[in-house]
Amino acid sequence: MTTATLPRVPVSRDPRVSPLRRVTGSPALRLVVKRLLMAIPIMLGVTVLTFWVLSLIPGNAAQQLLGPEATPEDIALLEERLGLNESGVSRYLSWLGNAVTGDLGNSLVSGQPVSDVLGERLPVTGELVFLAFFVSLLLAVPVALLAAYKPNGVVDRISMMISTLGLSVANYVLALILVLVFAVQLGALPAIGYVPLSEGLWANLEPMILPSAAIGLPLFCFYTRFLRGDLVDQMQQEEYVTTARAKGIGPWQVLIKHAFRNSSFGLITVVGLNLGALIGGTVIIEQIFALPGVGQMLLQAINTRDFVVVQAAVVIFALVAVVANLLVDLMYAVLDPRIRYGAR
Amino acid sequence: MKKLAPIAAALMILTACGSGGDDDSTDPAAGGGGGEPVAGGELTVLEDASFAGSWPAGLDPATNTTGGSNIAMNQAIFGGLFLLKAEDDGSNAEVTPNQAESAEMSEDGLTFTVKLRDGIEFSDGTPLDAEAVRFNWERDLANPCTCKPTWPLAPNGISVVDPLTVQLTFTRPYPAILASFPASNVNWIASPTALEELGEDAFKITPVGAGPFTVESNQLSSSLVLKKNPTYFKEGLPYLDGLTFQSIGGDQPAYQALQAGQAQVYEGLNTTPLLEQAQQNDQLQVVVQPATSPYVIQLNTAIAPFNDVKAREAIYRATDFEAINEGIFKGTYDVSQSFTGPGGKFYEPEVEGYPEYDLDAAKALVEELGGLTVRLGTISNYVATQINTALQTQWQEAGIDVEINDYQLSGVIQEFTGGQWQAMLQTAGAWDPAAGVGVGFRFQSGVPYSGVDDPALDQLLNDASATVDEAERADLYRQAGELIAKNFYAPFGLAFAPANISAAGVHGPGLTTKIPPILVNAGVIWDEVWQEQ
Repeated sequence: MTTATLPRVPVSRDPRVSPLRRVTGSPALRLVVKRLLMAIPIMLGVTVLTFWVLSLIPGNAAQQLLGPEATPEDIALLEERLGLNESGVSRYLSWLGNAVTGDLGNSLVSGQPVSDVLGERLPVTGELVFLAFFVSLLLAVPVALLAAYKPNGVVDRISMMISTLGLSVANYVLALILVLVFAVQLGALPAIGYVPLSEGLWANLEPMILPSAAIGLPLFCFYTRFLRGDLVDQMQQEEYVTTARAKGIGPWQVLIKHAFRNSSFGLITVVGLNLGALIGGTVIIEQIFALPGVGQMLLQAINTRDFVVVQAAVVIFALVAVVANLLVDLMYAVLDPRIRYGAR
Repeated sequence: MKKLAPIAAALMILTACGSGGDDDSTDPAAGGGGGEPVAGGELTVLEDASFAGSWPAGLDPATNTTGGSNIAMNQAIFGGLFLLKAEDDGSNAEVTPNQAESAEMSEDGLTFTVKLRDGIEFSDGTPLDAEAVRFNWERDLANPCTCKPTWPLAPNGISVVDPLTVQLTFTRPYPAILASFPASNVNWIASPTALEELGEDAFKITPVGAGPFTVESNQLSSSLVLKKNPTYFKEGLPYLDGLTFQSIGGDQPAYQALQAGQAQVYEGLNTTPLLEQAQQNDQLQVVVQPATSPYVIQLNTAIAPFNDVKAREAIYRATDFEAINEGIFKGTYDVSQSFTGPGGKFYEPEVEGYPEYDLDAAKALVEELGGLTVRLGTISNYVATQINTALQTQWQEAGIDVEINDYQLSGVIQEFTGGQWQAMLQTAGAWDPAAGVGVGFRFQSGVPYSGVDDPALDQLLNDASATVDEAERADLYRQAGELIAKNFYAPFGLAFAPANISAAGVHGPGLTTKIPPILVNAGVIWDEVWQEQ
């Protein structure tokens, strides 16, 4: 995604040109800056909303931690220690004040710096999402192309059947089935746990196969169906396809060079939109496979009403969503010259 | 329809007996069997993320807010001044000195003296002496922990008598103190030197004790990796080279991980269908722990409808726990008529004058009341929600309208503190009714989680906890049980206890033998756990 190939527009001194435009000559760069500025109100909104929703759930950190056997005196003591007797607004504002300077604070419950905890856990979730995402995409594109090449052919029917099935199973059920088949019955893969990359590539990958498959399989099904449908529409309806065929270009070339290029716009949008849902899916999958990732951390933090940790996780997830959407737009710019030159 | 066949098949495997054990297979003999213990090997122990698999505040005994759930980890790292030990079948359970050499209660019940074994050191070389114990106890009392002791301590009531003797002085007789030790943070002694050197924040992540294992790494509420303590005070123990506690999201994934051989132990299984599968599986050993805390339907006598004794009697008459035990749990558990379970002290399965199930009487009472509408709540877990659904059915037969709800922990607390709850299915009692979450917790006046306000009952319970003589205590608790039944305060039900599942070849007290649970899970004695090589 280099912007170096994009034409540079000289910086204008014209007072009628907006300052943003003056600083950032290239439309692509301007898009990035605009989006990053827009991310600020989004982040504020998300964190305020999270804080508010968390405060709506009954029980605070002190009650949650001490459980039903605690005396009211003990709960009051812990509330004071955790600073829960301050108002919600002032707790949020002090969190925000620190967060702006890059200090995500310390966990209410353990006192550990949240950045340390995130440092341990982000690689786990990152790897899980990366594997699920790329494997599903790598598989979906060729399968969809093959299916679209001959609609209602053998490949098409089989792939549609599988993807209908794959889409109709909840991912935690799929996870349990995968464990049952591959770990329990066949004994081929580990059922739980995480091994850091430092202990070897295969040692690290092996326990990640089932969890990333549990997330990735439904995605693969979704991408396959989407892309196949779009390709078939293009091949049957678009004029440029007819033109290309009239020129004597072979069906494969038409499919890949013309139809796929156009369909990829839709696919990129879907992928970008999906990333948020994908991250949500990690929460339950990390529970089932005992993976020490951000999803597991988020769930525990919600259970203990540890708002500092919840906020940190939400900020991370929201950032990923914002960046993903930005990347989608940039991909458009690269793929479509009309956008690249700002001629919208 | 054809398309769905593979999924249906997979789901059938998921829910049916997938273990392939034949019907006449029996569990390996539970107990210390399996021949002579051998040293070596490592175990992975799974703990449910919603209970023992959660240690969000770290593992410093003084500040661990969930310490009551984390007894397994505490016992592995710190060992314990005292341990609850029992015969292999769970009988004759008693609190026995471990790092302590002896404990003595004065005749008036006001002074408790603990003598320590000579020569025990923490794994950092600091001696575990009376001063270290006093230092720990003072920290424990100053901090909120679910397992904090409720000692009626006199001012400056902790004194060091000599380098190996600590003494406690109380304002009123407190003979239940010894029974309360194994589930309380005062039982787990941390190295004062390590605390000072590391500081509290680092110590709670890598605590230092004098127990059988030392901390290798600790990712909060995720995994705790321990290795053998080379300077452990018992010759030849622990048997295991390493012990890992791994948090997991519930019974189903835990069971599958055991089947896949990824872990060797799971503490606290309570999902009945999985329990049955495990019992059929000859690769797994199942030990259902002796139950100490029966289920009880608490009735809020402060507000309508249960401020009317007739409404309370209607509930007693409409409730048939025997049928629930047979119907849902295939008779796995014992039904009790009081707050004592078969695994605990002072067990009374039958209470004189207990109002038995009588559907016609229940119908007549409901009619007399002109109808009865009840909100029945409970905590959201498998067994509790199953029981509540069955109760709803039974009560409806008697003409009672029932709305059932299940809550997360915070919801339960809110219901109780709000004071508008009507009926709650809970567990009551403990191995010793005066220790842990004892009976007073559900029945004493002025306690937020009680539905009863009866000075006569308060008196009986207070006297029972302040009496040294065990036979006298038994009699007082029997009277308390009769008083509860006579006033229709709360019907008791099946005494439930979770099961421990372990892979064939694992042996150890509390895993493959029975030890009554003091709070929820049995206190496994980790230094004696071993694995066939």
